[in-house]
This record gives sequence, structure tokens and C-alpha cells, in this order.
Amino acid sequence: MTVLLRLSAGPIGWAVAFCLIYGLHGVGCAHGWDRIELPGGDAQRIVLAAAWLACLAATLALALYLSRDRSTPLGRAVLATGWTGFAATLVTFVPLLAVPTCV
Amino acid sequence: MKALQLHHELTAIWRTEPGWRGHLRSVNHSDIGKRFIVAAFVFFAIGGVLAMLIRAQLATPRSAFVGPEVYNQLFTMHGSIMMFLFAIPMFEGLTMYLLPKMLGARDLAFPRLSALGWWCYLFGGTIIVLAMLAGVAPNAGWFLYPPLSGRTYTPGINSDVWLLGVTFVEISAMCAAIEIAVSILKLRAPGMRLDRMPIFAWYMLATAGMMIFGFPPLILGSILLEVERAFGWPFFDPALGGSPLLWQHLFWLFGHPEVYIIFLPAAGAVSTILPVMARARLLGYGAIIAAIMALAFLSFGLWVHHMFTTGIPHMALGFFSAASALVAVPTAVQIFAWLGTLWSGRPQMKLPMLYLIGFFIVFVLGGLTGVMLAMVPFDAQAHDTAFVTAHLHYVLVGGFVFPMLAAAYYWLPHVTGRQRVMRIGEAAFWLIFIGFNLTFFMMHLTGLLGMPRRIDTYPEGMGWTALNLLSSIGGFLQAFGFALFLIDVVLQIGLGRVHRRNPWGATTLEWAMATPAPAYNFASLATVTDREPLSTQPDLGVRLARGEGLLAVARNGWRETMVIDMTTGAPEHVAILPGNSWLPITTAAMLGGFFLSMLAGLYAVAPLFLPMVAWLGWRWAWTNGYHEDVGPLDAGHGYRLPPSFEAERTTGWWGSVLALGASATLFTALLFGYAFLWTIAPNWPPPRLIAPSLAVPALASAGAALSVVTARQGRIAAALGGQAAIVVALVLLLWWAPAPTGHAYAATSAAIAAYGIFHAGTAMLILAFVAARARAGFHSPARSGEVRIARLWSDHGAAAGAFCAILLVVPGWLA
Repeated sequence: MTVLLRLSAGPIGWAVAFCLIYGLHGVGCAHGWDRIELPGGDAQRIVLAAAWLACLAATLALALYLSRDRSTPLGRAVLATGWTGFAATLVTFVPLLAVPTCV
Repeated sequence: MKALQLHHELTAIWRTEPGWRGHLRSVNHSDIGKRFIVAAFVFFAIGGVLAMLIRAQLATPRSAFVGPEVYNQLFTMHGSIMMFLFAIPMFEGLTMYLLPKMLGARDLAFPRLSALGWWCYLFGGTIIVLAMLAGVAPNAGWFLYPPLSGRTYTPGINSDVWLLGVTFVEISAMCAAIEIAVSILKLRAPGMRLDRMPIFAWYMLATAGMMIFGFPPLILGSILLEVERAFGWPFFDPALGGSPLLWQHLFWLFGHPEVYIIFLPAAGAVSTILPVMARARLLGYGAIIAAIMALAFLSFGLWVHHMFTTGIPHMALGFFSAASALVAVPTAVQIFAWLGTLWSGRPQMKLPMLYLIGFFIVFVLGGLTGVMLAMVPFDAQAHDTAFVTAHLHYVLVGGFVFPMLAAAYYWLPHVTGRQRVMRIGEAAFWLIFIGFNLTFFMMHLTGLLGMPRRIDTYPEGMGWTALNLLSSIGGFLQAFGFALFLIDVVLQIGLGRVHRRNPWGATTLEWAMATPAPAYNFASLATVTDREPLSTQPDLGVRLARGEGLLAVARNGWRETMVIDMTTGAPEHVAILPGNSWLPITTAAMLGGFFLSMLAGLYAVAPLFLPMVAWLGWRWAWTNGYHEDVGPLDAGHGYRLPPSFEAERTTGWWGSVLALGASATLFTALLFGYAFLWTIAPNWPPPRLIAPSLAVPALASAGAALSVVTARQGRIAAALGGQAAIVVALVLLLWWAPAPTGHAYAATSAAIAAYGIFHAGTAMLILAFVAARARAGFHSPARSGEVRIARLWSDHGAAAGAFCAILLVVPGWLA
């Protein structure tokens, strides 16, 4: 069971990040955070970027933690899914950098 | 002589009774698996005939072959049948038949659950097809978008047929998912650690997990839409605070993972067959496991790419677009692993390999157009055109039908014990392959030329005429190909010569038995030391048949198989599986009565079937267990293991955990809907909120605490009282809440309360059952597994009930 949890941990990290950021995006647009200007950009983008950075840090830490055992096929699979979680969190939210938030 | 006697004794225990009685009562996984496969092929044929009618209609402009109303039913039924009555049941059947054999077990973990799933599938599918013959088939497209599918625009029962029929069939899918997951985790041959599992089992473990978490949003959506149609609760009506987009979210939350739910079992077949055809070990076992897990999760983050043109903000579209492109990576990892395996081996161009080559070509093309459609600007151009239809057929036919045809030719000798008689399969392949590409490649072009999907006719002069005619010719070529395939199978069953065991030289355990397989699979169970047991122990099948393995015994008329530790593969206990029974078919019949009453609009009659279902569930559970302690059983090779009714953590416990996981997913989807409507839907806030009571959530919380504490102390009456308090609290909230027909807030609140009441009620039933079993002498310190299972359900009921009660009054507090 532990192995299955470790295999799933990286993608679960991405899934949590996805729910958090997509949810925040919906709430922010509904409450007009994009119309609140702050130093560095609108409040919506700043909140989302902060959440993204936190998720990146968490999934990176998780990937490093899961990378310890490379001696068995399952150990290597755990390593791969751990880094998948981080890479997916990085790639999925790249639109944060350029795309209008609530248009 | 001893081996022959063992065979006779095991056959007497495991066999299916002869005649109709056997057909109706059998719970054997081989029987059930074969029935699923045959029925799924029949539905495939029906769906195929509908496709031919569609192509006949579109072959020429301004065709008068069928009118728009019939055409709407044709394409809706074609899609619905292929997705819900063919693809899912087909891989379920293949898995039910194969999985225990591959894992070295004698049956699946819950044989009666498989049989229940079969009857639900058969009855539900029959309802849908009979509706078509009666001219009232679903006609709003296979994804049944409201408001088109709502009461205003579909006043007949067409949409109800879909909602009730598909939900009935989905019971079967949920049964299969739990069955498959627990069987893979717990019913493997001793020594079969996770890293020694056949790769097919990894694929099916991921698929089963995806089904457990992917199907509940669809089931929830179907319930909500049916309740809206039947009782006017406005979940999807924007005038009353609902939103049609909620349906799209719920549907595609299921619908996109569904594509991978269909693809992964087929990929599992590819990963099993291809190394045998290549005469090589599968390359990148660990990388493929990682890719499977990545796909299983990433595929849940793509659903909005079906909704790119619904007006969702660009940034959210960007998230889903990126995730949609990303999912191609783990798919590509598998493709490269397969190519590497072919490269490292000495491939043989046998018939299954031919179909695998067809799979490679068609599926890769479908994947590439998928990446195109994942890009928002391209999707905006191609959305709702024939290009999308072409893409999805390339993915699903390439990613499922071709591998299933390869699987059919690969495992048919196992099912029949016979060889092919003529080379018809090669001709069938070329007809299907050429016909398919002719049909759907042309549809890419008609789509790019602007032809919308789902139109029943089109004018001349659009530049679509010749392409459509070619598509139709291709479609009929495919039909001839599938007809030849059917003839080939029938000839093999009827006229094929008996062949030697393991004709392909495969290395997985399903070939370590006589073919056709005996009812008990293995006379004794293998101890596995390698991922490919037959490569290290070529005489394993003979030794198992001689009774040299574990559990080489027929005692007490028990159907015994081994339960292991899920990580190490060490033997844990001996499962005593139930025998043939009337319970699955009668339970399915009662469920059928409920669904048919709903369909007929007999809303007062429908609830009468539910107590019958509950009573049958009671009987079902009552037949498990034993009246006295028997102590550890001799399992052979020095192992002495407890029987399942004396085990600490049974397969039933694991099945309950997964069932509750599915239920929690449905509830999470409901909460998502609640939050979605609050945030996005028009006409909010609602005119009136539930009064901000403190007493009612306090009553529910106190009841929950009482139930959780007293259930652990064995004070069942007090635990029942706690659950009753939760039910009372939620009923009071419903009583005081605004009418659910007035606003989506009230409707959603009522749905949340109903969820809590249902689970607290179920917990009460299970606690009452445990009390009755204790009085009847089924429990002892050694035989306490049932109590643990009951506690799971009771704790879940308590937590869900208290949470629902608190959640419902929160908006009133905040207002």
C-alpha cells in the first residue's frame, strides 16, 4: 500500500495544485480580484502566482523526497511519477505568466 | 489418480449448474466475463448498424433516407451504445475472464458482485435498445446537454431513457471497478509482489481506480438531471439559479477520464501481447508503470477542453490546454516502450501483430489530432465539426477496437481451446483498416471544410459531397470487415482443431492451465518468483494440475483461493468465496423495477422497490461468514492460514473502502456543483436561505459523535440512536428549507441533505445487521471482520451526516 501511495504522491500533488489554482481563479473572477490593482499587477494574478509558487515548492520537495530509492523498477517508477508531479505543476500553469485572467 | 480425483472434486464445487438454472445463478468469473464479451459485441453490432444508417443518410446531399428526428436518435444511440454498452463492458468482460487467471487465482474477490453487474448491464442495455425500437430513443446527443435534453425541449421520455438506462448500466461499471481493484490488490498468487505483477494488472488497477473516481460525477449529473426532469428541481435552469454548464462540467469530469478508462485496458492488452509477438521481454516495465499512473491522474485535468467554446476565461482555458498537451507525454512513453520492445526482439507477423500495427498507425494519428485540438485557437475553428468526430474515432477505434481485435485473436485459443481454420482474419483486418481510414480520414477534411457534426443533411456545392460519399463507402467496407471477423470467430469455435496448451509461447499465468479453462482455473495455486512465471518455470502448468501447488484440496464444499499481502505477496488468509446464487439476478430485477417505474413516471411506485433491494442486500451479507471458529487451515507447503471469516482485514473491508471512496467522490462533485452555482450561475443569491439554526447541526454532530464512540465500544443500540439523530436533524433542515423547486440553491441543499440521510440510513441498516448477526452467533473474537466493515460505514454515515448538517446552515450564518 505504501508503494502505491508513493507512486501516486507526485500526481496527487499536481491534482491538489490544480484544484487550488483553478478554484482560486474562479473565485477571484467572481469577486473582481482582477480589477484590484496592486504593485506588481492585479490582485488576481498575484494571488494565483503566489499559489503557483507555493505549489511548485511543495511538488519539488515531494519529488526530491521520492527520488531516494532508484534500485528497483518500482523505485524508479516512484521517482518518475514524483518528478511528473512537479513538471506537470510547472507546465500546466504557465498561462499565468501571459494570458488575461478573467476575459 | 490423485490429481484426477482432485479435478473431479474441485469441478463439483466450482462448476456452473447445467441448463437455465446455471445461466441464471452462475457467479463464475469465466462465465460472467464471456457473457459480457458476447453481449458487448452484440451491442457493438447494433451500434455498427446505426453507424451504417448514418453513413447511408450522409452519402449524398439532401438525402431523404431518414428524417431529422430519426437521425437525431441514430447518432445519439450510436454514441451512447458504443461508449456505455460496448467499450466499457467489453474490457470489463475481458478483464473478468482473464484477470484471476493472470494473477494465479481461482476467481475474483466478489463473484456475486460480478454477476450483479452483468444483470444490471443486460437489463439496462435492453431498456435502452427497446426504447429505440419503440421510437423513443435518446435524441439529444450522447452527452445529453441541457437545455436541449431538459423537459422543455425534450418533453417525451427520450432523455429519461438515457439518464435511467445509463445509470442502471453504471451500477455494473462501479461493481466491476471495485471487483477488479480488490482482486488485483489482494487475490494474487503467493510471491507475486507488486513489481512481479503482469503489466495488464497494473493497467487494470489504474483503470479501476479511475472508474471509482471518474464515474460518480456522471452518476451525480444523471441523478440531478433526472430529478430536474421528473420533479422540477432547477439544477440546470438559469432562470432559477441553475446553469447548463454545470451539466457539462459533471459530464466531462467523467467524460474525459473515460477516454483513458477505455484506452488503458486496451494498452494493457498491447503491453501483454506485443512482447509475445516480438519474442522479447517488455522494455521499460517501471517506465510504463510511471506512465500509467501519470495518465491516470493527468486525464482528470483535461475535461474543460471539451468546453473551450463555452465562454470560460482565457486563463482557465490555458490551464486545460497545457494539461491536454501534457498528457501526450506518458502516452508517448508507452509508444516508445512498445517500439523498443519490437526493436529488441524478433517480431513474428502473426495475426494479433497485424492488428497491433493497425493500432499503432491509427492511434498515433488520433493522438496527433488530439494535440491539435488541445490548442485553443485551433479548437475554436474545428469545434463541433466533423474533424472532432474523426479525431475521436481515430483515438477510440485506434486505441480500443484494434487492440481488442488483437486481443480477441490472441486469447480466443484460450477461450475455445481451438485453432483458427482459415486465414479470414487477415482479410478482415485489411477491410477494417482500409475502410476505417477511408471513412474517417475524409471526415477530417470535411470538418476542415466546415461541415458541422450531427447534421442530418447538407446542400450541394459545399465541397463535401465526394468526401462524404467516400466516407460512406469506407464505412460499409469496415462493416464487411467486422462481418468477416465474426465469421472467423464462429468458425474457430465450431470447426477449429484442438491445439496444444499455450500456442503463442506466452509467459503469463493464464496459459498455465488447460484450455478451455476449468471452472476452478488451477487445481493448485502457483508460488511466483518472477514477473514472467512460465519463462522460469515452463512446466508450471503441469505441476499445478498435479496438485503440487498451494490449496491443492477440496474441503467442505468451499470455493477457496488465496489472499495475500498487497505489497510483499506473502499469503495472508484463505478466501472462502460464495457459490452460485439467485441473489444477483433478483437484486438486479428489483433495481430494474425501480428504474422502469421511474421511466414510466410511476414516482409513487418506484420507492417500493428500494426496501426490496435493501432486504436482498441483507440476505446477501447474511450468507457470508460461519457459525463457529474453525482455526487455521492447511494451505499446503507448510502454510497454515485463517479462513476469510476469521481474518482481521478481509477483501470485504477493502471493497467497502473503495465503495465509500466512490461515494465520497460523488459528494465532492455535488459540493463542486454547489460552489459552482454560487460563484458562476446567474440569479444568485437565492431569495431565501435556510435559517441559521445552531440546534440542528449540534444535534447532528452529537449524533455523529455518539455513533462513532459507541460503535467502537460495541454498543450497537446507542450507535443506531446516534445515526437516527443525524437523520432527524437533516429531515428537520429539509422541512425548514425553501421548496427545492423554487431555486437551484434550495434544490442543491436538498440534494446535500438527501446524501446525508441516505448514508446515515445505510449505516443504521448495517448496524442493525451486525446486531442481528451477533445474536445469531456469527461473531466471536476471531470472527469480527464484519464488525470492522460495519464501523467503516457507520463512521462514514456519521461524518457525512454531520458535515451536511453544518454545511447547510453556514450560508445563513454568513448572510
